[in-house]
Amino acid sequence: MASLIGSAVKRKEDPRLLTGNGCFTDDMKLPGMVYASFLRSPHAHAKIARLVVDKASQLPGVIAVFTGQDLADKMTSVPAMWFLPGCDLKPKDRPALAVDKVRYAGEAIAVVVAKDRYIAQDALDLIEVDYEVLPAVVQQEKAMQEGSSLLHDDVPNNLALLWKAGDIPDQVFEEAEVVVKERLYNQRVIPNPMETRGAVAQYNPGGGELTLWCTSQNPHIHRLIYANVLGIPETKLRIIAPDVGGGFGAKIATYTEEAVVACIAREVKKPVKWIEERKEHFMATSHGRDEVLEVELAGTKDGKITALRVTNTANLGAYLSTFGAGCPTIDFGLMVTGAYAIPQAAVVTYGVYTNTTPTDAYRGAGKPEATYQIERAIDLFASKIRMDPVEVRRINFVPKESFPFGNAMGVTYDSGNYQLTLDKALELFDYQAFRNEQEEQRKKGKYLGVGFSTYVELCGFGPSAVAGAIGFQGGVWENSTVRVHPRGTVSVFTGTSPHGQGTATTFAQIVAEKLGIPIEDVELVHGDTQSVSMGWGTYGSRATAVGGAAVSIATDRVIEKARRIAAHELETTLDQVEFINGQFTVKGDLTRCRTFQEIAKSANYAWNLPEGVEPSLEGQSFFDPSNFVYPFGTHICVVEVDEHTGEIEIKRYVAVDDVGRVINPLLAEGQVHGGIAQGVGQALWEGAVYTDQGQLMSGTFMDYTMPKARFFPPIESAFTETLSPVNPLGAKGVGETGTTAAPPAVVNAVMDALQPFGIHNLDMPLTPEKVWRAIRSGRDNG
Amino acid sequence: MQLTYAHTFLLPREIVWELIQNEDVLKHSIPGCKSFTQLEDGSYDVEMGLSVGPVKGVFTGHVQMTDHQEPSYYCLKVKGKGAPGEVDAVAHMHLDEAENGVTLNCRMEVVVTGVLASVGQRVMGGVAKLVLGQFFKSADTEMRKLTSQV
Repeated sequence: MASLIGSAVKRKEDPRLLTGNGCFTDDMKLPGMVYASFLRSPHAHAKIARLVVDKASQLPGVIAVFTGQDLADKMTSVPAMWFLPGCDLKPKDRPALAVDKVRYAGEAIAVVVAKDRYIAQDALDLIEVDYEVLPAVVQQEKAMQEGSSLLHDDVPNNLALLWKAGDIPDQVFEEAEVVVKERLYNQRVIPNPMETRGAVAQYNPGGGELTLWCTSQNPHIHRLIYANVLGIPETKLRIIAPDVGGGFGAKIATYTEEAVVACIAREVKKPVKWIEERKEHFMATSHGRDEVLEVELAGTKDGKITALRVTNTANLGAYLSTFGAGCPTIDFGLMVTGAYAIPQAAVVTYGVYTNTTPTDAYRGAGKPEATYQIERAIDLFASKIRMDPVEVRRINFVPKESFPFGNAMGVTYDSGNYQLTLDKALELFDYQAFRNEQEEQRKKGKYLGVGFSTYVELCGFGPSAVAGAIGFQGGVWENSTVRVHPRGTVSVFTGTSPHGQGTATTFAQIVAEKLGIPIEDVELVHGDTQSVSMGWGTYGSRATAVGGAAVSIATDRVIEKARRIAAHELETTLDQVEFINGQFTVKGDLTRCRTFQEIAKSANYAWNLPEGVEPSLEGQSFFDPSNFVYPFGTHICVVEVDEHTGEIEIKRYVAVDDVGRVINPLLAEGQVHGGIAQGVGQALWEGAVYTDQGQLMSGTFMDYTMPKARFFPPIESAFTETLSPVNPLGAKGVGETGTTAAPPAVVNAVMDALQPFGIHNLDMPLTPEKVWRAIRSGRDNG
Repeated sequence: MQLTYAHTFLLPREIVWELIQNEDVLKHSIPGCKSFTQLEDGSYDVEMGLSVGPVKGVFTGHVQMTDHQEPSYYCLKVKGKGAPGEVDAVAHMHLDEAENGVTLNCRMEVVVTGVLASVGQRVMGGVAKLVLGQFFKSADTEMRKLTSQV
């Protein structure tokens, strides 16, 4: 039988989704269901002087209207979940609904419940609000200045956290042969999954049970937080993440709206639905990135990097979001040295409150920013010492003999072979031929450029002890139960809650391969806190490396028990039983065998079990990995810049990724494609723009450019497989490789193209206008 | 956002000075004006239906005219709010002598919030010009009507 692990199995999910038979939150229709709409502040910073809901309450069809005051004794504010120690963190919770003051444009201040969505919307217009407008602070460096308007009275200078790691004496930089210093801006982006957020809540006044269907990447985390917020035991709060249409990190966070919907369902004793509109999504769902990165790199003239220090001034938005404190510190700071053996490194991160939408994890969460600064700094260094950027990378790579490798920030890279992906990518690309062509084309006034990004990222969060040490309020292990039914089909319960990854396929491949049964016989059960005991979320590319590992171990335990039953039935000893391709056989006697299905029946009927073996066939695993995993790779981007219009065309994109064991190359490549699209999106098109008053100017798809398939050439993707030693699958993580690798690959390519114009750095997004201005003025950032 | 607009009336400056601040003229000239009521302090409460591209709604607001330097300048302050957001505008109205009449030069500083800002701003400049154009054209007609009656 051909191996299922490693084969391009088509997604089990697709027939259902493609024929319109998926079940997303908005597909939920419950008898007597009513609808909620939120009134949102038009101001970024204002006192609520007057809030009168009488007219709205009186509109026929309106069931209830709630303000923050009305909910004060019914639910609490929603806290963050990552309380990083040692950084003087001043966490500010999101209020259920703003009460005295609003702190960003789009913050909810009241909620209407009505018979239908239209009436709820109309009622919003009847709510009377008077605001006393306060000065807004939008940009993080300005917000930190003395005398800036304060969001929270007890947070001086709007400084939510100050995190320092490592220390390098100034002398090291003063005495270095070469120093490059640059201020980079990793701009704010808006996640925009295809499905916006939504919630449906149902309360049973008889028993007090509350069920909440919502768009979550981690329903158990929602239960953990919301149980407290709603004052309800975890035993009576059931969270279900049905089909979820993308998340990119934005559906990790425990927002207020979902909890408010649950709270008001309990109040009005009717099922309540709320579906976020796209224009709400732009303002009310967490944004990503928004970090000002000041990087200083010291090295020798012959290309060796000796020290790196980075200051990250991160915009946290108006409140501390769920993982808000961790992204610009741990996720960013521990990875600043990238794939290079840099002996000394230091990071300082300022986390700043501003009158903007709170920021949180977005596909990569800190690692793309870390990769951006090191990969850009390497190119600036290469340019300064007039060395080929590929050569500088080669010289400084962590050598493959050095793994496990402890980087200067104190984390241990599990395994790696950076030279391998670079060599393979160069082979696919034909570097020398490109340089020759570039030279030729320049003579004709055509400007080609190539950019490299040889990234490494930190994924597969675990072990839980580390999570505890860095102040994460939860565990990072995963669990699985593999339950074999009497006829030999298998239900796999997993704490991993997918939102588009195809986990129901990849996990089924693992189980089907191990048990030697058809993949059609394996079904995944996920996303429901009542059917799955626990789960810590699908984020940080941890689904396969941690959740998949739990599935693998639980399956092994099924085999272990089945083998005992088989040995008993075959009247032989355990060590004489072999399990190959779904058959238990006695060594050396192929005629004495039992199929997996036969043992499934025996175990469940329990007519004749060996002594000490309990009925049924089920394996369970709670897997807490010993370390993170560190996928890596080489991305190469080729662009052509039009000197006259500033327009950038991507001519080629080569990606060689090493994500450890690839379970399904089709899905892995899909993840790479999507990640690259989003990464290139950040490099060239995307960007949240606020006015000085905190008004979001890029609040629609007409103002915010999403990447589209037609913007790309075919992506040339390949994998190498350097297995991870920290989980039984040898898997790493593939979900965030593209967003991590692509932005510096693209920007490095554009800078390479613009080299004849004396331009070294432009901030993302590299819009035609920005590039055109820079070419005209011959200056960085125009 | 800054906006400028100019309109030339073929009428004497004194007449334009008086009529451009006349309640009836304003009531009939403000596009989408639903009500226009003078308050005791001389300012006005106004209700108008506005449609800026994709943004539609009824706005209630307050209009005040100050700093009169007859017959050449006054300041118009407008505050309004509606479902799509809030508007806060200060307009400097200069009446300059022109050939056969007077040119009203309007220089306006406008701050908008909410959906008006995030969705409307893109089209705001063009639409504001359109709305102002409609206003001055109607005001011109109203003034002619009134002056021919006098």
